[in-house]
Amino acid sequence: MSTRAKELLVVGIVLLFCIIAYLGKVYGWVDTVVFSPMVSMIVVGIIILGLVFVLIRTLQGRLINRQVVFLFVGIAVIMPFFMSITQKIRTSPEVQQLYDAVAELPKGSKVLVSFDYDPPSAPELQPMAEAFLYYCLSNDLKVIIMGLWPQGAQQANLALEAIMKNEKLAAKGLEYGKDYVNLGYQAGNEFVIQRMGADFSSMFRTDYSGRHYEELELVKNVKNFSNIDYSFNLSAGYPGTQEWVQVAVDRYGLKMGCGNTAVQAPMMYTYLNAGQLVGLLGGMNGAAEFEQLVKYPGKGTKFMLSQSFAHMIVIAFIIIGNVAFFRSGRGKKL
Amino acid sequence: MEHVALWVAAFLTLGIISFLYKDNPWYKLCEAIFVGISAGYWFIVLFWDNIVGKFWVGVFPPKELNDVGELVNSVEPDYWLIVGAVLGVLMLMRLIPNIGWISRWPLAFIIGCTSGLYLINYFSSNMMRQVQGTIMPLLGMNYELSTYDIIGNIIIVIGTFTGLIYFYFSKEHKGWFGRAAKVGIWTIMITFGASFGYTVMSRMSLLIGRVDFLFGDWLGLIN
Amino acid sequence: MRVGKSTFLHLCLAFSLSLILILILLTLVSAQEVDSLRSSTDSAYTIPDSGLVLVAPVTSLIAEDYKYDDGEQLKLSWVPSIDDQLVDSKVLGYRLFRSIDGGTPEILAKLPPGTNSFLDRTVQRERKYQYYLETFSENFVVQSIVTAAISPEREWLNLDRGWLFIIALFISIAIIFFVEKAKRGHKLYVRKIAGLEAIDEAVGRATEMGRPVLFIPGINDMDDVQTLAALTILGRVSRTIADYDSQIFMPVSRSLVMTAARETIKTSYMAAGRPDAYSDDMVNYVTDEQFGYVAAVDGLMVRERPATVFLLGAFFAESLILAETGNSVGAIQIAGTARPAQLPFFIAACDFTLIGEELFAASAYLSGEPRQLGSLKGQDVGKGLAMSVIILGVLAVTIATAWDVEIMHNVHNWLLGVFSSN
Repeated sequence: MSTRAKELLVVGIVLLFCIIAYLGKVYGWVDTVVFSPMVSMIVVGIIILGLVFVLIRTLQGRLINRQVVFLFVGIAVIMPFFMSITQKIRTSPEVQQLYDAVAELPKGSKVLVSFDYDPPSAPELQPMAEAFLYYCLSNDLKVIIMGLWPQGAQQANLALEAIMKNEKLAAKGLEYGKDYVNLGYQAGNEFVIQRMGADFSSMFRTDYSGRHYEELELVKNVKNFSNIDYSFNLSAGYPGTQEWVQVAVDRYGLKMGCGNTAVQAPMMYTYLNAGQLVGLLGGMNGAAEFEQLVKYPGKGTKFMLSQSFAHMIVIAFIIIGNVAFFRSGRGKKL
Repeated sequence: MEHVALWVAAFLTLGIISFLYKDNPWYKLCEAIFVGISAGYWFIVLFWDNIVGKFWVGVFPPKELNDVGELVNSVEPDYWLIVGAVLGVLMLMRLIPNIGWISRWPLAFIIGCTSGLYLINYFSSNMMRQVQGTIMPLLGMNYELSTYDIIGNIIIVIGTFTGLIYFYFSKEHKGWFGRAAKVGIWTIMITFGASFGYTVMSRMSLLIGRVDFLFGDWLGLIN
Repeated sequence: MRVGKSTFLHLCLAFSLSLILILILLTLVSAQEVDSLRSSTDSAYTIPDSGLVLVAPVTSLIAEDYKYDDGEQLKLSWVPSIDDQLVDSKVLGYRLFRSIDGGTPEILAKLPPGTNSFLDRTVQRERKYQYYLETFSENFVVQSIVTAAISPEREWLNLDRGWLFIIALFISIAIIFFVEKAKRGHKLYVRKIAGLEAIDEAVGRATEMGRPVLFIPGINDMDDVQTLAALTILGRVSRTIADYDSQIFMPVSRSLVMTAARETIKTSYMAAGRPDAYSDDMVNYVTDEQFGYVAAVDGLMVRERPATVFLLGAFFAESLILAETGNSVGAIQIAGTARPAQLPFFIAACDFTLIGEELFAASAYLSGEPRQLGSLKGQDVGKGLAMSVIILGVLAVTIATAWDVEIMHNVHNWLLGVFSSN
C-alpha cells in the first residue's frame, strides 16, 4: 500500500469516527465519556511507558521524528479531558493579591474592566474574564467594560452571557446600565487611555449598543480615572497591560490588576514588584487559581489537568532532547 | 445552520493541525481562507471604526429626533478631526511617485507625537519606577521580612545591577566588570528560561482550547 | 566651540540647581494660597439636652484646590471629632454637605468614623463650592464651620513630576553632548559585540557552499527603530556579500522597507565597485499579513535552503516558526530583536543572538553614525545614573533598617521621593 493510500485511509477512519460521534451527539446515542480512576491510571502508565521507550531508543542513538513529539503532546492534552482524576490547585501570592484587592472594595465601588484580546487568546483569558466578572457582580461591585481591541467588547458580552446563567447572579436581577455597562471598542490604542484620563465620554460617546454615555446611570457621573476604584485589564498583547500601566497607573494613579496570556506574564512581574500592578493572573494557571478563590470553577480549572500533563510531556522531551544532544557529541563544544 | 458552522470550524481546525504531520493541500486551503478572511475583516473593522465611527460621526454627529420631530440629543461636531483626515489623505500621496515626498509630513507628525508620549511613558514606568522598586534592604536586625524575602531582594538587586552592567557599552567586559556582566547575562538567560516556560504554557492553552472545541462542542464526547 | 567635560558638567549642575530653585519658589507660592483658604475658627459647641450622646464637631476643616490637576478636584481635610475614638467611639460617622454657587447645601457623602480627608472629584472650574461636616452619634448631630467658597483651578505644569523632568533633561543633554562630540570627529568607544564577528564568517560559509543568504528585517515598518537598526546592519552584510560575490534575497512585509532595503543594498554594491551585480529582485515585497508573510518565507527557506539566515528587527509570534524552519534547513542563523518575549526562541534556535539593546549597539558600531553612537553613549550615562542610585539606595535602606540610622532613613526617603515622581 502506498503512503498516499495509507494517509487517505487514516483520514477516512478519523472522518467516519467523527461522523458517528456527531450523529451520536445529535440523536443522543452517545453520552459523554468518562474514564474510571483505574482506566485513567492505566492511560497514564501507557504514556510513561511510551516515554521510557523513546528514551531508550535515544540512548541507543536512534532519534525519533518530530511527529512523535506532537503525537505525545496531543495524547497528553486530549486524555485528561476523559479522566476522573482531580488536581489540587494552590494559590500563588500575585493571584491572592488580586483577590484581596477586589475583596476589600466596598459595595458599590466602580471597577473598570478592559478587554484587550480577541478569540485566539480566549482559552486563557476568557476563564479569567468570567471569574472576575462573576466575583464583582455577585459582590455588588459596579462593572464598567471597555475594549482597546475590536473583538474585546464581544468577548465581554460572551463572558457576561456565560455568567448570567449562574443561579446566584440570575437571582440578583442585575440591570444593564445600572449594575454593569459595556462601553464597547474604541480605536486609538494608548491614546484612548490618555484621553480617558481627562474625560471618559470624549472617547465613548455611546455604549456598545448605541446608548448615549449620559443616559447610562452607572457612568454618567464617571468623568475620568479618579472616579474608578479599581481596574482590571485582560491583555493578549499591544495595546494592553503595559500601556495601561504607563499611562493610567503611572500618570493618573489608577489602581490596577491584570490578567495576561502566559507569553506576556513574565514581563508583568517587573511592574508587580515595583507596585505598579496590584495582582496578576498569568495564563490558564492564574485563571484556575482565581476560579478556586472566587468559588466559580470554570474552564480554567477544567483545563488544568491537560495543562499539567502537557507540561510533563514537554519536560520529558527536554530531558530526552538533552540526552540526544550530549550523546551526539555536540555538547562537548559548549 | 449551527451544524454547518460547527463542521466548518472543525474542518478548518483539523486542517491547520494537519500541518504537524506535513505540509498538505488541506492546510494550504485553510491557511488561504484564514489569510483572506483576516485581511477582509481588518479592512472592514478599520473602515467602520476609524473612518465612519471616529471621523464621519465626529464631524457630522447624527441628530436624534423624538416622535414629534423635536431635536432631543445634539452633539457638537468635532472639527479638529478634519486635520487628522487631511494628514491621512497626505499619507496616501505615497501612491503618486512625483509627490510621494508629501507623505513624510504626516509620518513626521506621527513619529513626533508617539516619541513624545513614549519618552515620558517609558522613562517614567520602565526606568524611574523600576529604580525605585529595586531600592530594597538586603539584611538588617530590625528587618521584619523572612529569610525567603531577603534572598528574593538580594537576587532582584544583583540581577538588576549586573543586567545593567551587561548592557553598558562604554566599557569592555574585562576584570570585575566582565565577571559582573557574566552574572548579568546568566540572570537574563534564566529570565528567558522562565519566559520560554510561560510561552509553552500559553501555546498549550491554545491547543487545549481547540481540543475542548473538537471533543466538547463538536463531538459532544466531553462535558 | 569645543565643549570640555567639566564645562558640560557645570552647565548641567547650574541648570539643575536653577530648576530646583524654581520648584521651591513655586511650592512656597502655592503654600501661601492654601493658607489664605484656611478657615480659622471652629464652630460653636451645641448645648445638649440630657440623655443625648454628645459629640464634638470636627475642627480645622479646610477646602483647598487639588494641586496639579486639570481643575477637576477639591481636597478637604479636617481634624476628626475628639469623641471619634478607636474604642467605644461615640461618633457613628460624618455627613459631608456641599453647596454650589451659594445654593442649598446637599449631602455629598457619608463617611465612616476615623475619616479625616475627602477628595471631591465631581467639581467644575466655573463653579464655587462650600462645604461643612456633620458629626453624628446615636441621637445627636453637630455641625462644623462652613468653608470659604472655592473653585478648583487648572495647573499648567505638574510640579510633582519635577524630578522626572530634571532626570530626563539630564540624560537628554548627555545624549546631545555625545552626538555633538561624535559629529566633531571624536572617537567614541563602544565595546565589541559577539554576534557581529560572526557576520563575515556566516557570509563566507554561504559563498563556500554556493547557497544564498536570507535577510529578514522583522515585520514592522520603517517607523520602528528596530527595522532601522536591521537595515543599518544590512548595509554591512550586503557589502560583505558584494565583496564575496555571494547571493542575497530578502522578502519583506512592508512596502517602505522594500524601498529602503533596495537603496541600502544598491549603495553597498556600488561601494564594493560592483554596481552591475545588483538587482532589484534581491528584495521583494510579500504581504503585510503576519502569518501570510511567515508562510511565504517558510516556503522560500525550504525551497532555496539558504546557508545563512539573518533575523534582525521587530518580531512577534512568528519568531519561533521562522527560526525553527531556518534551523531545520541547516542554516547558520544570526538573530536580534528588542522584544523580550521573542528572545528566548532566538536564543534556543539560532547560533548568535543580539539581545535587546545589543541590536542598536551593533547598528551604531557598524555604521559609526554620530547620532546612533551619541545616543548609545548618552543612554550609558542614564544606566550609570540608575546603577549609582541603586547602590546608594540599597546601602541607605539596609543601614537604616539594620542600625536605625536617621540620616540613612532620610537618604532613603529622599531617593524614593525623587524616583516616584511620576
